[in-house]
Amino acid sequence: MHSLRTRLLFGIISGILLLLLIFSLIVYMLIHHALLNQYDASLASVARILAASVEVDQNNIELEAAVQQMPEFLRQDRPTYYELWRSDGTVVLRSPLLGADDLVHLEASINALVFARSQDKNSRPLRAVGLKFIPRSANSDDKGQQLIQEQTLTLVVAGDATALQRQLGLLRWLLLGASGVTTTLSVFIAAVVVRHGLNPLNSIAGEIAAIKGDDLTVRVETTSVPTEIAPIKDRLNDLLSRLEDAFRREKRFTCDVAHELRTPLAGIRSTIEVALRRARNTAEYQTVLSDCLAIIESMQTMVNNLLMVARLDACQVAFRPVQIHLTELVNSRWQLFSEKAVQRRIAFENRVPNDVMVNSDRESFSMVLSNLLDNAVEYTNEAGQIWVTACYTDDSIELTVANTGCHLTSEQVAQVFDCFWRSDASRTSIGTHCGLGLPLVQRLVNALGGSAAAEVQSGGVFTIRLTLPASTH
Amino acid sequence: MRLLLIEDYRPLQQSLTKGLREAGFAVDTTGDGQEGLWYAMGNDYDVIILDLMLPGMDGLSLLKRLRAEGRQNHVLILTAKDTLEDRIKGLNLGADDYLVKPFSFEELLARVRALLRRSYREKNPEIKVQDLRIDLTTQRVWHGRDEIRLTPREYALLEYLAMRAGQMVSRTDIWEHLYEFKSTASSNVVDVYIGYLRKKIEQPSKPALIHSVRGRGYILGPEA
Repeated sequence: MHSLRTRLLFGIISGILLLLLIFSLIVYMLIHHALLNQYDASLASVARILAASVEVDQNNIELEAAVQQMPEFLRQDRPTYYELWRSDGTVVLRSPLLGADDLVHLEASINALVFARSQDKNSRPLRAVGLKFIPRSANSDDKGQQLIQEQTLTLVVAGDATALQRQLGLLRWLLLGASGVTTTLSVFIAAVVVRHGLNPLNSIAGEIAAIKGDDLTVRVETTSVPTEIAPIKDRLNDLLSRLEDAFRREKRFTCDVAHELRTPLAGIRSTIEVALRRARNTAEYQTVLSDCLAIIESMQTMVNNLLMVARLDACQVAFRPVQIHLTELVNSRWQLFSEKAVQRRIAFENRVPNDVMVNSDRESFSMVLSNLLDNAVEYTNEAGQIWVTACYTDDSIELTVANTGCHLTSEQVAQVFDCFWRSDASRTSIGTHCGLGLPLVQRLVNALGGSAAAEVQSGGVFTIRLTLPASTH
Repeated sequence: MRLLLIEDYRPLQQSLTKGLREAGFAVDTTGDGQEGLWYAMGNDYDVIILDLMLPGMDGLSLLKRLRAEGRQNHVLILTAKDTLEDRIKGLNLGADDYLVKPFSFEELLARVRALLRRSYREKNPEIKVQDLRIDLTTQRVWHGRDEIRLTPREYALLEYLAMRAGQMVSRTDIWEHLYEFKSTASSNVVDVYIGYLRKKIEQPSKPALIHSVRGRGYILGPEA
């Protein structure tokens, strides 16, 4: 059962039905008991009157005439029967209405009453009471005690219980009918109440259904939400906010990627199209091809970096940590950029102490260093400086790459790890610096168990500070 | 016709400059927004081709400044941003056209030419001056039924005169619209090219097409 409404309705209706059943049973039993008691009491009093009116004279047992003429014993409708037995089982007296029939013979102890249900010859329900007694002697109690045993009589008085049964039947139907009506009404009432109670849910569901995939700025606005549902609404709105953020970031990232790919594509396309507009000599074609190749190489780098960023974000990069001699690795990485640095008269200093060993994945860590040095060479001022330092701290190694000539504000520095961020909304002429270097560094270092931070100090010194887990020294 | 190309992505800058020059335009090029503004303020360009993401000053700010200074140059924006929002923003700031990267070079040429025709209130891509017929799209010239072969520079000169046919065009104007900022050629070169052009388009038996206005400039066709 998946519908909350059905479940609630079922629960409420079953509960009401169960309560009604129990209630009806109790009421029925109480009334049944009371009616039966009343009926039995009147039967019992008749029995006692009869018993009191039995006279024993010698061996003759008689009933007082006045009692015999009581209308209960004579009327045809709702008749009352009686029958009297001796202790040996022989019938002494029976009410004239019985004819030759016997009533049920009820054995009780002396002066005690015993009740039972029975039927007459017409299958009418009877209620019978049995009484064992010692009849009144006509000449008082001058007889010996030995007679007592022989003289005990058993009297059974039975009344027509049709009316009683009818009353009880009526009561049963009444209770059943009342239960049925109550149940039916409760179904309607419960349906209305449940529907009303679930209205906020429906309203929220409607609002959520109306949210389109292309517009996540919508929030669930349903007001007057019950306290039980308010947290759901709040959580939903939270979820929507987070989704919106994630989608916006994703969208921006996709836009940025498209943008970054479009510019070099435009370069390749226009280079080739312009070349094809007329016949050219071999040297010109060679220039065009090598220009295109250079663009493709830079695009390849970008795509690789993007893939790396995406893989790191998806935790799909495996590392194989080895012991790396930091000074050597810095020197070998610098080889890649030294030529460009010389052209721009940039001084480089590797201040990493010779004993620093880093336990890390060689390929990834090389990538980190390359990106840091590449970035430094790109943004250092003409005839500026770049230096790399490292030292052991308590439980980690701190590596810094610093360069002069930084014009970023501290707000801008906070953005250097964002994908595609550039300080002046432009790319460099070469196009390899598409704003992925430092984001990649940060993601790689994080994946390697460290952290990266950027800061700008007075004098335009830009520093990237990496904190790496210390190797076993 | 003289164009200013402001584009900082060097491969694109180089190929566009080359292609546009080969198409007969005089092209000044810069990759810096600030420098681009300075170029645009100092010269009378027929069309400015403007990238949006530039170092120094971004393209939209440049455009805003240019319009604020009252310059009416036609501006064609080149950009990798293609959202409707970006386009509307650019056009609202006074750009005349918008081209999203990567684009076809032929489309760029066609759009530049369309803007040029607008500059000279010429909607027809074919200009007729007496017997002379100039197809601005294919850059071919006919005299009657005979096609005249012109060098790109000669064609550019004829086109410029034809766009303003019937009006006096000063030598300085010609020089400014046909030669690049960094060109070392002197304005005398204009007279030399007028001479080349006359030889090719005029026939001795027919009335002259290019008239000299002594000490001032030239008029193509009968005076308006």
